[in-house]
Amino acid sequence: MAKVEFRHVVKRFGDVEVIPDLSLTIEDGEFVALLGPSGCGKSTSLFMLAGIYLPSGGELLFDGCIVNEVEAKDRNVGIVFQSYALYPHMTVRDNVLFPLRFKRMPREEVLGRVIRAANLVQVEELLDRRPSELSGGQQQRVALARALVKEPQLLLLDEPLSNLDATLRLTMRTEIKSLQKKLGVTTVLVTHDQIEATTMADRIICMRAGRIEQIGTPDDLYRRPESLFIASFIGSPPINTISGEARDGVMCAGAVGFPFEGAPGAVTVGLRPELLRFTGSGLSGRIAQMEPMGREILYVVDTDLGYLRVLEHGSVAAHAVGEPVSIGFSPDDSLVFDTASERLITTARVGPPA
Amino acid sequence: MVAPGVFGDLPSGPAAAVDWDRMASRARSLRRGKAAALYAFLIAVSLPIILPYFWLVTIAFSAKTGVADTLVLWRSMAVFAPAVIAFWLVAMLAQNRRQLWLGITAIALIAMLAFALLVGPDLHLRNFIFLVEPDFASIVRSRVGEVRGAIQFPSVWRAFGNSILIAGAQTVIVLTVASLAAYYLSRFQFPGRAAMLRSLLVLHAFPVLTLIVPMFLMLYWIGLLDTLFGVILVLVAFELPFAIFIMKGFFDAVPWDIEMSALTDGASRRQAFVWVVLPQVRNGLLAIAVFTFIRGWEEYIFVFTFLIRNTNWTMSLYMYYVRDDVMGVNYGVVSAVGVFYLVPSLILYLAAQRYLMQISIGGVKG
Repeated sequence: MAKVEFRHVVKRFGDVEVIPDLSLTIEDGEFVALLGPSGCGKSTSLFMLAGIYLPSGGELLFDGCIVNEVEAKDRNVGIVFQSYALYPHMTVRDNVLFPLRFKRMPREEVLGRVIRAANLVQVEELLDRRPSELSGGQQQRVALARALVKEPQLLLLDEPLSNLDATLRLTMRTEIKSLQKKLGVTTVLVTHDQIEATTMADRIICMRAGRIEQIGTPDDLYRRPESLFIASFIGSPPINTISGEARDGVMCAGAVGFPFEGAPGAVTVGLRPELLRFTGSGLSGRIAQMEPMGREILYVVDTDLGYLRVLEHGSVAAHAVGEPVSIGFSPDDSLVFDTASERLITTARVGPPA
Repeated sequence: MVAPGVFGDLPSGPAAAVDWDRMASRARSLRRGKAAALYAFLIAVSLPIILPYFWLVTIAFSAKTGVADTLVLWRSMAVFAPAVIAFWLVAMLAQNRRQLWLGITAIALIAMLAFALLVGPDLHLRNFIFLVEPDFASIVRSRVGEVRGAIQFPSVWRAFGNSILIAGAQTVIVLTVASLAAYYLSRFQFPGRAAMLRSLLVLHAFPVLTLIVPMFLMLYWIGLLDTLFGVILVLVAFELPFAIFIMKGFFDAVPWDIEMSALTDGASRRQAFVWVVLPQVRNGLLAIAVFTFIRGWEEYIFVFTFLIRNTNWTMSLYMYYVRDDVMGVNYGVVSAVGVFYLVPSLILYLAAQRYLMQISIGGVKG
């Protein structure tokens, strides 16, 4: 197990600077998710950890030792690729056994370890099959077994669930998480799927264009997003945003005035769909569309400020399309961002219009 | 129900009824006509392609010394041509796989019976005398009383061995060099990579004959003239560009992921190449191997120019001199040598057919 540290790591591909300056620490035994849209440098960071890419600058440390120059094969890192990257010409047994081929180890122990790794992810019946004869979920498990068989000090997961169907994704999510807790291996998960990150990781590192946008627990990122980017990226259905101009206790957005508390200036208000309610008074509009999602119903409301999403619990629709409604919310649930810097203004609050 | 008036402008109701039956029968007859034309074309082109090979074998087993007898050929054709036509007819008319196989088997049986009756009595093995008697030319000539001036032939097995050696060594070298070079071209960036890929193709576009004089001089000065090794080197040089180009396509198709995975699993770059990447391009290697081997097997120009001693003869040279020496006396022997020359490459093709079908040259990335 290892503690991992990035110290001012830079990565350039030719003239393109993918990661300008990355510093972060991952504690021993922690499950961390690198979350961000595609092209934000999260996979690049992962491959630097694996030793496939060399950092262009800065230092990468495992347990306090600089490993910049250490070759991939010597890092003792297990990795699960998005495509699983199983070796198509080998049986599952040989696939799982492959990492042990390079360690001087008695044959008995090798086979024992393969069986144990296969047991861990429940693929012991599949050992004699070829990867092409396995389902996506089984391939995923085999890839995990292969990553774990050498008892790595660091487990890297590169979008491991994105090729699975929805139900299987749910199961694998739970399994990977409990496996990680059981083995206590330091794990880095790379994903663009916020649900994967929030459900599995102890801590989320949200990245954007090669920089860290925010580091925190899933709850931190959801409740106290430090920037508009995080607020829009985390949460499903996505957050509603209203831009306006705040002065003298009022935020004007279009023709609508919201009660405002805080410093004047151009602000953007973020309102989570699930924290909006249909009330007697508030922002008025008309229901334009209704999307039943099983446990809850998403209403798209056409207001003077554009479409707003409102999520209501319950599976029975209380409102009909075309019905006039008023949207209310608690001022404490509003997130106010500075429009220019997109940073959260922690002291500001916005209430629903009277 | 569609609201009235929305589609009011369109014709509807029985007045505009479509005659589906007429359209269906027209489509049916059109389809049959096309199929008939296609099969007629296939019959027309397949006969002249297969016939020479068929005749080659028939002559090799039937021609007699000093006798110019073509009657047996006409008889064999009388069996063969209807068989080919019947085969295509069966292929066209068969409703399912079972009928097809039944039909083909029936035709094959009838054709074999007819062949045995019409051609069978003329068949013999005497034309294959060259397999056991190196000085067969004198013997064949003596049958017609003209022994003078016969070429001194080496044993055919010597020529056979030389051919195997040239084709085999060439294959091994091309495979090794092409797979390493193609891997590097596919995976690594280096200055001049695009230019190198382009020049690979240009090199292949050269008619090799144009270089025969400089090549001759080069081999003479190096001291490899009249050695098998010299010919092997020349052949390798001409085969490599295309082999590299094809292998690069195969390597391009191997995902980076499994290679990266091998590296993190503890393999060195070389181990990853040997254990993980090479097995993925197995089909490409096999295809290259077969094509290169056959190219070396049928090589004629270079061996004719660069090899002089008759102990260095390859099968193609052997064939050439047999034709030169006994063609007028016994073309049956020439055909028999041809059959003997043909068999190894035929076996190789049949064995490797499955892999050759998979060759495809993907998009070229610079």
